[in-house]
Amino acid sequence: MKEKIKGLSRGNQFLNKELANRKTGVFLTAAVSVVAIILSLPFFSWISIVNIPALFSKLSITREMAENLFQGYSLFNLLSFVQESKQGSLGLYAMILLILMAAALYFNVAYALKIAFNLKGNKGNLGLYATGQTAMLFEMIATAATAGFVIFANYKFGMTGMQASPVVYILFLLSLLSFAAIKLLEAEERALYKEHGLFREIQKNWVLFLMLVPTFIYFMINNYLPMLGVYYAFTSFNFRDGLWASPFIGFKNFDFLVKADLFRLTKNTILYNVVFIGLGNALQIVFAIFVSQVTVKWFKKASQTLMFMPYFVSFVILKVLVYNIFEYQYGLINNIITSAGGGKIDFYNTPSYWPVLITLFYLWKNIGYGMVVYLATIMGIDSEYYEAAKVDGANIFQQIWYITLPLVKPTFIILLLYALGSIMKGQFELFYQMIGNNGTLYNVTDIFDTYVYRITMTQPLSIGLGTAAGLYQSVFGFAIVILTNFLVKRKNPEYALF
Amino acid sequence: MKKKRRLVSIVLALTMVLTMAGCGSKSAVESLNEAAPAETTDNSTAAEAPAAAEETTEAAALDTSERVDLVFYVMGDAPVDEIAVEDALNEILLEKVNATIDFQFSTWTDFQQKYSLELTAGQADLIYVANWLNYGQLATSGAFEELDDLLNTVAPALKDTVGESNLNMCRVDGKVYAVPCSWAEYTCNGVKYREDLREKYNLPVPDSLENFEAYMLGIKENAPGQGLLTVTTEESQGLLTAFDAAWILNLKYPWVNANGLPYGLASNYDTPSDVYDYWYSDDFTDDMKLMKKWADLGFWSKSALSDTNDSEAYKSGLCVAEIAGQNPNKQIAAIKEFEKEQPDWKSEYIAYGEITNTIYPGHATQNGTAIVRGSKNPERALKVLELLMTDESINRLVQCGIEGTNYELDANGIYHNLSTSIPEEFPYEGFNTWSLRNGDYKLPQETDVILNQMFDKYEELGSKTKFPNVNIYNGFNENYDAYQAERTAVSNVMKQYLAPLQAGLVDDVDAAVEEFRQKMTDAGIEVCRDGFKEQWEAYCNEYGYK
Amino acid sequence: MKIKKNTSTMIFNIITYVMLTFGAIVCVFPFIIIVSGSLTNNTTILTQGYSVLPRDITLSAYRTIFNAPKDILQAYKMTFYYTIVGTAIGLMMITLTGYVISRREFKYRNTVSFLIYFTSIFGGGMIPWYLMYANVLNMKGSTFAIWFPALMSPFLIILMRTFIVGSVPEAITESAKIDGAGHLTIFFKIVMPVLKPGLATVGLFLALGYWNDWYRSSMFSTSSKTWELQFYLYDLLNATTALKQMAQSTSISTAELPTQSVKLAMAVVATGPVILFYPFVQKFFVSGITVGAVKG
Repeated sequence: MKEKIKGLSRGNQFLNKELANRKTGVFLTAAVSVVAIILSLPFFSWISIVNIPALFSKLSITREMAENLFQGYSLFNLLSFVQESKQGSLGLYAMILLILMAAALYFNVAYALKIAFNLKGNKGNLGLYATGQTAMLFEMIATAATAGFVIFANYKFGMTGMQASPVVYILFLLSLLSFAAIKLLEAEERALYKEHGLFREIQKNWVLFLMLVPTFIYFMINNYLPMLGVYYAFTSFNFRDGLWASPFIGFKNFDFLVKADLFRLTKNTILYNVVFIGLGNALQIVFAIFVSQVTVKWFKKASQTLMFMPYFVSFVILKVLVYNIFEYQYGLINNIITSAGGGKIDFYNTPSYWPVLITLFYLWKNIGYGMVVYLATIMGIDSEYYEAAKVDGANIFQQIWYITLPLVKPTFIILLLYALGSIMKGQFELFYQMIGNNGTLYNVTDIFDTYVYRITMTQPLSIGLGTAAGLYQSVFGFAIVILTNFLVKRKNPEYALF
Repeated sequence: MKKKRRLVSIVLALTMVLTMAGCGSKSAVESLNEAAPAETTDNSTAAEAPAAAEETTEAAALDTSERVDLVFYVMGDAPVDEIAVEDALNEILLEKVNATIDFQFSTWTDFQQKYSLELTAGQADLIYVANWLNYGQLATSGAFEELDDLLNTVAPALKDTVGESNLNMCRVDGKVYAVPCSWAEYTCNGVKYREDLREKYNLPVPDSLENFEAYMLGIKENAPGQGLLTVTTEESQGLLTAFDAAWILNLKYPWVNANGLPYGLASNYDTPSDVYDYWYSDDFTDDMKLMKKWADLGFWSKSALSDTNDSEAYKSGLCVAEIAGQNPNKQIAAIKEFEKEQPDWKSEYIAYGEITNTIYPGHATQNGTAIVRGSKNPERALKVLELLMTDESINRLVQCGIEGTNYELDANGIYHNLSTSIPEEFPYEGFNTWSLRNGDYKLPQETDVILNQMFDKYEELGSKTKFPNVNIYNGFNENYDAYQAERTAVSNVMKQYLAPLQAGLVDDVDAAVEEFRQKMTDAGIEVCRDGFKEQWEAYCNEYGYK
Repeated sequence: MKIKKNTSTMIFNIITYVMLTFGAIVCVFPFIIIVSGSLTNNTTILTQGYSVLPRDITLSAYRTIFNAPKDILQAYKMTFYYTIVGTAIGLMMITLTGYVISRREFKYRNTVSFLIYFTSIFGGGMIPWYLMYANVLNMKGSTFAIWFPALMSPFLIILMRTFIVGSVPEAITESAKIDGAGHLTIFFKIVMPVLKPGLATVGLFLALGYWNDWYRSSMFSTSSKTWELQFYLYDLLNATTALKQMAQSTSISTAELPTQSVKLAMAVVATGPVILFYPFVQKFFVSGITVGAVKG
């Protein structure tokens, strides 16, 4: 606590030049943040269970189950109540509360730290205020939602079985007040830097906002609302209780993945993807440059069209073709080898060939398709650059090296960042159709997606498992993208995704 | 500075107060002890019982005053004449029970996944169920309505038609969740082979492993270049086998189920509860050596594990026998195809059970209809189902389409489709409602003559077994929640290590068997086996399969 | 100096033509096999394998597919409908969004970009997505459920943003603004005209996405009247395997199932129109070049 006080007093120095009431304002709201952080600690219960005997008999909680239950819950262990008392219908709400709580905590800590260590952005205290506001906003939502949760739970129980502790209400009021305080402070600060808030932004750029409305609706329907389904990863689905009330089982679904050969799967998936992304993009760029440099029109068109064609060969057909090429007895390649007097190659029982073969077929299928993006980028390059280079005496290789490639770079980085996000996801169809059930090849060809498909296919109730696997892939990809994006942004913010 | 310190202390004091308010979390059981202990279980059941009783009395008088539109979810693709037949059907149904029915088709693309989705979404009322669609597991999980009471109150006629014993076979955890069809059939697996070639080269009938080998070798010698077997992994996806060639071993073992029990266990049909270990036995090693011998003799392709050509192989003469996933129906199909395209060829069929004396009929859960949990009109749905199955004209309409337009009966009462186009406008059982088959009303097709001969033969053989005409294995419903992870691992090891063994594609059988067993042990096969045995023995005890 | 330039250009040209010819042959070779296979007698394929030139030429595979011309024409019609509607609406929405998130004066452009990108990494999986359309919106069986879900993708939006940033310098829009042009004017009068390669690329990807899709028909169609072409063909393929497995557990009369040559003919039927259509799109990638690098 002492350190915190010291930090606060040091942080105060930067306020010296400001008006006295603003100092107090920031200080007070910081105090609220600290209070919020303390009250968020797990040993403060936000929700208490009342009427225990009646409630337990209503929920048919046995004595055995009650052993693991508490009288009071914080938002952190609320899910344990859901799990131990088998109240799956509260699970999703409790999980949302946990996420809100975590967000509130994160921003409160950030706010307190920013004040304590006097971290300033390039626009004065505006960044600080934004953090503060977000923190207070999340605190308000979390507390209000907690009160809502109690009402919801009691409704589900059909009786009063839960009660929100006064902490919740007090915290709500405090955060509301400090939210307003920060808002006032921010208004003054904004005037200083000629910045404006959301409302003003909408007023100013309403056309832009209007342009985003369809996009907003689309992503809400297609992506954000269904995202609630991530919750299934933590449940054990059954039809009796339905999707939202199936028992909450914590991380049990993930155990499954850990028990599988997670390391091998992850390694295979990432290695294949790295090769696909690297070689794929390199060849696409090379061929796009080739095509762009061709002067004979019919050749240009024909080669481009022909290279595009493999994209249309569905994997089902590809599988048949591949089998007939690599089969032992009468396959095309073995026919050629034997007629040349060589010994037959047993492709389908020799794993070592397949990483190469799969890569080749991936490239074959994707070069023409992926090339289009680069071709369009190259076509968009202003021809004056090349004219100027020619005047300076640059040969064609120099032109490509110093003009084309640098200008293709932003596109490449975007595609790269995009591909990295799904680095744990694989070309499922490619692997599934080419390898199928041939277990001898699994060691080197099994990727995450094919494995998950195999284990979920045989079980009709594997919703939780499938979602858990997807979540693992997403989190993995997300971490990598955030990291890469951060690095890219530091080098050149123009290239960053966000 | 002083002012600030005061402020901090205020904050601290405030938190102290709140700490008090929050009060530590103590175990709820303590307070449960303080209060009078409640008798939990009794209370809840007592509360439910009267409600349930009310429901049944209510259902007794089926109220049809309000029109109800039902959805019947079936597998596969819709026939061309879907609408016409549905309209004709609905006309009658509206009149009789004031309800309409709309057939919705799963299509064959991702049908397993879509089937679960349909149950999750709960938009259908009636749904086709079958053991290959995981009926048992879904019923345990509560996907369907319980039918015991409903059948008594709403559809007693249906109950009579289907029969108590048939319904009992659909019981899961003691409750009926599906109404099976009332047409018994035999789906016993066996070997389909080319009788014309056998005669031509004077080879033995492949009714044992030795004779099968002789048949194959005979053809190989006499007709070099002729493909022998196109075996793949396709018919061996579960926890029994991993490669199709291993199906032939059923000629040797009188197992309770084709390919034995899951997890490399096995028991004989005469002593179902007497489970023994197959994978870790010497028999297994010997069998695998046989497979290797056959593979080395070139009975099947070295690339068989990835083969894609099998679906038309027999028909096109690429192979001279089929051994996996065959049944009387496929034999009929082959006869039909040969008649049309290769009149000189002749297909013959031997069921494994004929040799080992383990013939038994298909199980009732092979074709059934259930009511989806959450259906708004379960009573009406069941009533409609009753009509579809027990009313002769309605049953014929739904199974064969409109008489005179879609089909006609010849003088012998044999069914003939009137369609001239391919696909037929309304093929036989065009709605894929195999679960609505009624043995009394099912119209005979031309091919049914041979089929019925086969069935008669099997019925006679089946009646001579220890458990006459009982399908023991398919009535069993394994609950593997407790060892799901191990089970998955086991099935993976099967694909990776058992498939090459059974395909004979390993260099050293003994070493490969050893490795396979080691991997199985690592995967936790013991856990699966213990779990399975316990449930299986309990099942056998319950039904007296000793 | 001049000579050096010429030799390097020549070397480059040789490499270019050799590589492209090689690439084109490798890419087209399997396709030739597919086309010739589709024209070959099925038994010949099975017994003698694939070949570059068709043997025992027969049109029976195509006859099988077009046996019910009504169905396949309906599937063609619906696919055209989905492709045109989806691409038109989608392209508009993507371009607008790309424009907005490329504006520097738009304060929340990073937030919006992030929110869009985020959807490409995180998702609730197929089940809630399905329930959203089937139960919440109650759109199962409608054409809406088939074209709507594929209107936009984060990838295409971000690609579009890159194209806009690359082809419309900030200075131009700034000066237009000073002249009093609003966002709509800038968007339609300045951005759209110079965005042709970008529009062509994104439009092509969108259209191909629609053309090649079978999944949404599989999920949402309740009648074959709304089927996409690819699903029509794909489902035929799946019926083979499914019915084969089915026939194991119960007696069913199996109708004519597609043979090897029919499968190949399907690939031709589904791809043909796109390959015919592709040169028209190509114009946008080719046109820029004449003013560009290799004029002389």
